Amino acid sequence: MERPQDQIEDLKRYCAKLTALTEGGVTFFHLEGLRLPAGCTPQTCDALLCPVEREGYPSRLYFSVQVTSPYTRNWNVSNARIGEKNWFAFSWKVALSAPTLIEILIGHLEGFAKEK
Amino acid sequence: MTDQEIQETEIDVLEFSQRGAEVPHAKVYRVRIDGEPFRFEDSSPTGEMVLARVGKRPCAFELIEEFTHRENCVVEPDEKVDLRKHGLKGFITAHKEIVTIFLNGEPYQIERGERSIADILGKAGQTAQGYILLEEKDGPPLPLPDNRPVEIDGCEVFHSQARSGASS
Repeated sequence: MERPQDQIEDLKRYCAKLTALTEGGVTFFHLEGLRLPAGCTPQTCDALLCPVEREGYPSRLYFSVQVTSPYTRNWNVSNARIGEKNWFAFSWKVALSAPTLIEILIGHLEGFAKEK
Repeated sequence: MTDQEIQETEIDVLEFSQRGAEVPHAKVYRVRIDGEPFRFEDSSPTGEMVLARVGKRPCAFELIEEFTHRENCVVEPDEKVDLRKHGLKGFITAHKEIVTIFLNGEPYQIERGERSIADILGKAGQTAQGYILLEEKDGPPLPLPDNRPVEIDGCEVFHSQARSGASS
């Protein structure tokens, strides 16, 4: 699904470098040096945003490491191989109708800041 | 020469106040703010402009005029100060106890110090159950963990967003 350029520009504010990665017919957004919410360790890491349905979730945000956050999360994906790199993801569902890329990203980052 | 004509190129306001002399018109007024000298070309800047010279903003700091023979006087941000006022020694700044924060572009007053997410969202009539609070600080807005207090110094910029995520 094509995303408007302004949505892509908004994503760039959150990371050091943004690129697109297509694999298995899915376009991921590769966010290098994504800024993470306060209280997270590390404070930045690489991430991969899948804005479409995957693994039973409406969208997914993968991280290059298992992030330590103010709330403990259920990391139910470990070492998923995408774009020749290993990725981690926690169980978090972002339920929005027709969300923008930023809304999806913030919705996933919310997982580090809310208990449930 | 009329009173309006410039009599000096640069004058030190403190020197005149210590001598009890009237401050003449000048091209540049040297004024102390928190003890440090600053040069002003305008003899009637606003309180906000004076604060800005020391990198401070009215959402967190108060500006106070100091005089040689009368009590100090608080200057409002949009109030024009007369640098030629008799007896003016300079200015001091003070961190406010009740500061201004910005939530979704609107200013709100709040006590300085550690505040809960619920305290901040409550300013806009929102609850921590229904909304997440994001802070825009040295970068894009990021969610704040709701189990930790937020240190409020004044001038913080927040955004709120309806909750969209949940563990599954």
